[in-house]
Amino acid sequence: MRSPFAYTPRSRPLQLASPSAAVVYLGALVAVAFLYSNPIVLLGVGVAVVLAGRAAGAWSAVRAALWMGLTLALLIVVVNALVVSRGTTVWARLGDWPIFGQVDITAEAVAAGAVLGLRAAVVMVAFAVYSACVDPDRVLRALRPLAGRSALTATLVSRLVPVAAADASRLRDAARLRGPGAAPVGKAPLARRLLAGSLDRAVDVAATLELRGYSLRQEHQRPSAGATRSGPERPEKRFTSAKRRSRYDCRFYATGAIVLAVAIAGKALGADSFSEYPTTEIGSAATTLAVAAVVALSGLAPLRRVPRRAIARPPRTASTSTPAGWIS
Amino acid sequence: LRGPRTAVAIALLLTALAAAGCGLGPGSEVGDVDLTVTRDYGTVPMLHRQVDGVTESDTVMRALERSTDVSTRYGGGFVQSIDGLEAEEAVDRSLDWFFFVNGVESTVGAADYPLHGGESIWWDYRDWTAAMRVPAVVGAWPQPLLGGYEGKVHPVGVECMGGGAACAEVDERLEDAGVKLASRPPDGSIRVLVGPWSRVRTDPAASQIERGPQTSGVFADFRPSAGAYRLVGLDEGGDEAVELGPDAGLVAATRRFEDPPVWVVTGGTEAAVRAAAQLLNTASLRDHYAVVADGKRETALPVR
Repeated sequence: MRSPFAYTPRSRPLQLASPSAAVVYLGALVAVAFLYSNPIVLLGVGVAVVLAGRAAGAWSAVRAALWMGLTLALLIVVVNALVVSRGTTVWARLGDWPIFGQVDITAEAVAAGAVLGLRAAVVMVAFAVYSACVDPDRVLRALRPLAGRSALTATLVSRLVPVAAADASRLRDAARLRGPGAAPVGKAPLARRLLAGSLDRAVDVAATLELRGYSLRQEHQRPSAGATRSGPERPEKRFTSAKRRSRYDCRFYATGAIVLAVAIAGKALGADSFSEYPTTEIGSAATTLAVAAVVALSGLAPLRRVPRRAIARPPRTASTSTPAGWIS
Repeated sequence: LRGPRTAVAIALLLTALAAAGCGLGPGSEVGDVDLTVTRDYGTVPMLHRQVDGVTESDTVMRALERSTDVSTRYGGGFVQSIDGLEAEEAVDRSLDWFFFVNGVESTVGAADYPLHGGESIWWDYRDWTAAMRVPAVVGAWPQPLLGGYEGKVHPVGVECMGGGAACAEVDERLEDAGVKLASRPPDGSIRVLVGPWSRVRTDPAASQIERGPQTSGVFADFRPSAGAYRLVGLDEGGDEAVELGPDAGLVAATRRFEDPPVWVVTGGTEAAVRAAAQLLNTASLRDHYAVVADGKRETALPVR
């Protein structure tokens, strides 16, 4: 079964934008989530990432991340309420506990946990949108000139982990197909077999990479060294697509920059007014609401604008392999 | 069958929780507490108020947070600032907030100190370079002699160690303050030692005063002089600040390890002990760590 967080190519602005633009846009939202503690602004970030995911067609990823994020948030609320007895509004007294001492459940500790949980959930949704909408291959290509070995490692991991998962699924199917009378297969033997298979595959991959010349040092990597066309000798030819710009890039760069600028200015103007203890005080000044509104509206950036003339004209047939949003 | 068993299990669980002091809400009211906030060894008052409606779940920290603007550190366990006055650490001095409940320094943080009603809480911002620990003070008079400390009332016994007429005066003043004196104080009593220093110094707890404020928390010293002892007042740094002479009396409190606090009403001479006994009143002791009197004037310690 395909993970809801797996990248799915779609002709939507966020998917068509270059990885750096998408990272700037989503990174700005994550930065605001870490910069602010005011729950109104955090809710604004939450609205933005949910809208962005929806507009980018990654609703299943958003839904799954929301489910996981809210579960984690609930856990954080419970742990914070039990561990932190600060705050003046006591809801319940749970007596003396061996490690924690006197445990009081206070409204302030619950509220503080909820804010921490909200931040965690928002960040999880943002990463889910990133994972579902940004092509990992393009990200790795973009990173290759900066850290070639790390990019290669990341590429291999991103390829081999799903392969290992598929192996595990196949092994489980095989075990089930032995029939109801067969002895049950424990997790440990399954994991051993999976590990052995993964090591075999790793040796094969290493041999293939060596044959392709990946083990040679830079000075020996020449175009005429006998490597194949897809080898590492001509990266500029292989990765030209990573350098392509999308007509949506400006939109995401600008949105990310605006979100960050507004957030920093708002922070300087006191928009992040929030105090957990001793009593919960949530600032709701005009600046806070303005920052939250701007951040929330930034979630509309991945919306696809349908040009008016497209309604009148029949859709253009694909005549090139270049995706619609790219500028060659 | 599962229904009744589950009901019994839930009932047992609820009973256990109730027995362990659990319950919904802040709990019932236990009374009021007295809150005092000062700086520089009690010399500069910042706040004095009665905190009403203290409940079972209230702690020293909650009482403080309800009364003034507080910032904390280390997960809310330690007070960083009260009313904007921040703890600070420099090369030559360290200033922090300390608190006493009924005149006894707490061994636990303010957030973990439960209130039972009737306590006298005193927060003081002071330089602790010379004495990091001041185990007991006299500034909460008549506490802890009246209401005990750490949530327990302790018997009080006056030990007359050659104090003469001063012992009777101390008895009278304590009884006037409502303190019930034990004729034969058992172990675990709060003791009040009355007598000249030459006798009082034989008590292990009182003798800590001669080892300096870093041990006893008392900013005074007795120096032998011509067969008697003369009282010396120390400053915040633990250095000699003023010589008070043999006729100056001292009222101070200290504590040895986790034993109950010990009050000393003493001086170099019998006249000095009498002068010290006359200090046992609210006006003379309130918000002071220790007090000396030479018959003419009263001086709070440490000397400033």
